[in-house]
Amino acid sequence: MLSNKSKLVSLLALPAVLIYGAAVLAEEMVMIPQGNYSPFFLKKELVNNSTATKIKIDAFWMDAAPVTNLQFQAFVSQHPDWHPTNIKKIFSDSHYLDHWQNTHGTANTADLNKANLDAPVVNVSWFAAAAYCEAQDKRLPSTDEWEYTLNDNDRDKENLQKQIIRWYSVPNRAPLAVKSQPANGFGIFDLAGLIWEWTADFNSYMAPPDSRNSGDKTQFCGSGSLSASNLDDYAAFMRYSYRESLKGNFTGKNLGFRCAKDAK
Amino acid sequence: MKIKLKHKLLLSFILACNSPAFADDHEHEHHPQQSAASAPSTDSIFNITDNWTAANGNTFQLGALGGKPTVIAMVYTSCQYVCPLTVQNIKRIERSLGAAKAANVNFALFSLDPERDTPAKLSEFAKLHGITNQSWTLAQGNASSIRKLAVTLGVKYKKVESGDYEHDATIFILDKDGVVKYQADAMNKNMNGASDAVKALLK
Repeated sequence: MLSNKSKLVSLLALPAVLIYGAAVLAEEMVMIPQGNYSPFFLKKELVNNSTATKIKIDAFWMDAAPVTNLQFQAFVSQHPDWHPTNIKKIFSDSHYLDHWQNTHGTANTADLNKANLDAPVVNVSWFAAAAYCEAQDKRLPSTDEWEYTLNDNDRDKENLQKQIIRWYSVPNRAPLAVKSQPANGFGIFDLAGLIWEWTADFNSYMAPPDSRNSGDKTQFCGSGSLSASNLDDYAAFMRYSYRESLKGNFTGKNLGFRCAKDAK
Repeated sequence: MKIKLKHKLLLSFILACNSPAFADDHEHEHHPQQSAASAPSTDSIFNITDNWTAANGNTFQLGALGGKPTVIAMVYTSCQYVCPLTVQNIKRIERSLGAAKAANVNFALFSLDPERDTPAKLSEFAKLHGITNQSWTLAQGNASSIRKLAVTLGVKYKKVESGDYEHDATIFILDKDGVVKYQADAMNKNMNGASDAVKALLK
């Protein structure tokens, strides 16, 4: 069910959709307006002087929901290089699309049962996610874009953080269908509660810039975390730590993605 | 190695977290590399087919580095400290091989800075560092090809407000098929290990 706010966003996005034509479908992508937000990691000196430490995000299109098994299945059938039997080892570990495997151990997209089709695709490497988005003439969102979208202009921030922490603490289970929960203020679904998501620059260097010359400070778990802009946001700490631990060929049972696109 | 240590610490943090997704990826941490050796061709970075522009203006793909071992690093020319040191260390590896052996090795610098590092700027940088040898390649890519190569090699980087880049400084040794065989901390004063790795690939 759409909130009033998200209906409004959809209406606002509609004229832009008409301008950009059929390449972008209204129900698939939402225009995220430009704005400012405080990223979790900031330069130490910026944090210390406690003035506004926001960075500017340009407007961009964001997929309303994570990419589903159904959508990824269509991609794989059009791009056989990304079928589990063909994928190059440099582009994924051995668990690529594990949940598509049938009992004989051979990946068969036909074995996907109906209930899974609308669930987010998981067990995909960064390379596979990036290739999917490129094939749609899209790209992966940057970490800043993704966090900005989740941040939702600080709307209901405390509740959001609590909700995310609750989700992080529940045992592993297969993700449910996308759009089962309400959208956020931008009209974006499932940023938290279903899966973790790849970002284009998950491998960004997140330690404070002065860390290079000071030995142990390069370690995230050490003094690097002291420059975090909001020490209370443990959920953000978890996300940045998780991204930092990934490599491009990794896959995970709860790791999927969505695509973005420049507004221009 | 610094980078490895960092990952270990992160891993211990992840193990401490009772989170489902963290647990998944810990599991994966142990598996992928073991099976990787059986089919070298699909392990090759030459599977990436993005176009790069060399300092001489020619367009090429990573596969052009095939047939010889390659010493490779990601740098940017406006970099004041880390990158010049990286280049000096690659030159140190080159010298240690002797002219005859070095002629059978590619040396490649891939820029992290798609805006400022034009072919002209790369040529200037090469001149500044006394790089005249044909076996060297300096390359400009776009933001997407740079990110893809960095993710493939495991180089972390981030553009900061000044226009500079925070990045890992690592020198990689590829075999003639484009498979990473050795990594050295580019800040290390001793390049013997990297040099030996190249020599082993020339045998």
